[in-house]
Amino acid sequence: MSLVWRVVRIQFVNWLMALGFPVLILALAFLGNVGVFAVISDVAPPEGRITGGMVSIYLTLLIAHLQTMTQFFPFALGLSVTRRVFFAATSMFILGQALLYSVLLYGMRLIEEATNGWGLHVRFFGLPFMETSNPVLQLLVYLVPFLFLSFLGVYTGIVLKRWGAFGVWTLWIGIAAAAIALAVLATWRGWWPAVGRFFTEQSAFSLFAGYPFILAVLLAGLGYLTLRRATA
Amino acid sequence: MAVARMHDVTKRYGDFAALSGVSLGLAENRIHGLLGRNGAGKTTIMQILTGQNFATTGQVEVFGEHPYENERVLRNVCFIKEAQRYPDIFSVRHAFAAARLLYPNWDQEFAEQLTAEFDLPVKRNVKKLSRGQLSAVGVIIGLAARAPLTFFDEPYLGLDAVARHTFYDRLLADYAEHPRTIVLSTHLIDEVADLIEHVVVVDHGRVLLDEDADLLRSRAVTVSGPTQAVEAFAHGYTELHRERMGGFLRVTLEGAEPDHETDSLQFEPVSLQELVVRTTQQAGGQELVGTANGKGGHR
Repeated sequence: MSLVWRVVRIQFVNWLMALGFPVLILALAFLGNVGVFAVISDVAPPEGRITGGMVSIYLTLLIAHLQTMTQFFPFALGLSVTRRVFFAATSMFILGQALLYSVLLYGMRLIEEATNGWGLHVRFFGLPFMETSNPVLQLLVYLVPFLFLSFLGVYTGIVLKRWGAFGVWTLWIGIAAAAIALAVLATWRGWWPAVGRFFTEQSAFSLFAGYPFILAVLLAGLGYLTLRRATA
Repeated sequence: MAVARMHDVTKRYGDFAALSGVSLGLAENRIHGLLGRNGAGKTTIMQILTGQNFATTGQVEVFGEHPYENERVLRNVCFIKEAQRYPDIFSVRHAFAAARLLYPNWDQEFAEQLTAEFDLPVKRNVKKLSRGQLSAVGVIIGLAARAPLTFFDEPYLGLDAVARHTFYDRLLADYAEHPRTIVLSTHLIDEVADLIEHVVVVDHGRVLLDEDADLLRSRAVTVSGPTQAVEAFAHGYTELHRERMGGFLRVTLEGAEPDHETDSLQFEPVSLQELVVRTTQQAGGQELVGTANGKGGHR
């Protein structure tokens, strides 16, 4: 058993919590949403019963992998694991989780379609703007955002370990400032119609799988370089 | 043979030098005491030797290689620190399962035996453990891992006297059966004095002493008696400490041999703790030497 794999196993030594907790959050969001639509079914038109509750599992992974760096990394480093092995193991774990959860989401989508939206015309898993032409692309549309948000959590955790809360604030304020600057620029130059066109013309695949994949790879690479000099 | 050595290592945090010019070697299959006051640099030394922190300048070598990101070296190293964190979702058995996956020499039976001796609830979440129980988790991992180079950085926080002695007893017994290089960083010097074979004393980021424990103990002696007789005897020796009470004088001398021909003088061996304290005080500017009762002058 390679060392990387053993470190992966450490991350799910408490597998019920590590793998089950995000599913529990998703289940709660799902039941809550379906419950609400069941109650208001006489006022909500069937075509409007769309919910973004699926985002809950994605955000849970963002937080979970922030904790991977703040809690598992110091533990593993304390047990003589190198940063390189830890990062490889974390990446493997993230990949496995993303695959598992995207298969789950896709499966739920199929059930949702087969049951006519859980008998209530509710669209929780099969969101209209995430439609693609074939099952493989559809799976990737669910999978890649997991990678992106997980590595965003990992990167934020690494910044926290290396530069503390000050570093994280700087990072996020920096990102926010850049976004505001771009928005101001777009308003000033009248680019908004073009920006809107860009997003509507892109396929669901490039919006949810293509660009997030590039960002995930960038975050992973940046994360590894930052981790090299991090201390527990 | 030295399994680990540092040569002229300096660690700076901005203007603050945590270590300045530290050179030391850890001999194979010996128990080392890394002694010194809080903030002396003990933890920093161990962090650098285990590749968890970085030296600003100087050479570091563990098992003949640099430890940083070095898998071959680190598989043989275990570093148990007082402030070791465990993931919030872990219970005690998860921490042991993780250690079992990582340390090639892990002895599960020994770990279970120790768990019973420390009366540790294995199913309890780490967040709900008392400070002493948390320390026991670290101590058990450090012992059962049987790593050829094991560091214990003040591992006893919150452990009561009985539990601490269980730790010392098990450490010594297991060390006899499975010899390995052990570094025990502590300021409970009296408690570990019988365990330690080699002493390294650090203060303000410098090595003050790096010596065999028995040799060190024989290096100094405390002489007491009438002031004049003691003064006459002490002449020419390096004085580590002096206490005066009326016409009675008590001095700790380096390099002096007990002289049994003088009836009026009394000789006592110096405990390891006293030696370390005196050496550290002397390095700190000798402010205690010569005070009337030996209790004045705090840094």
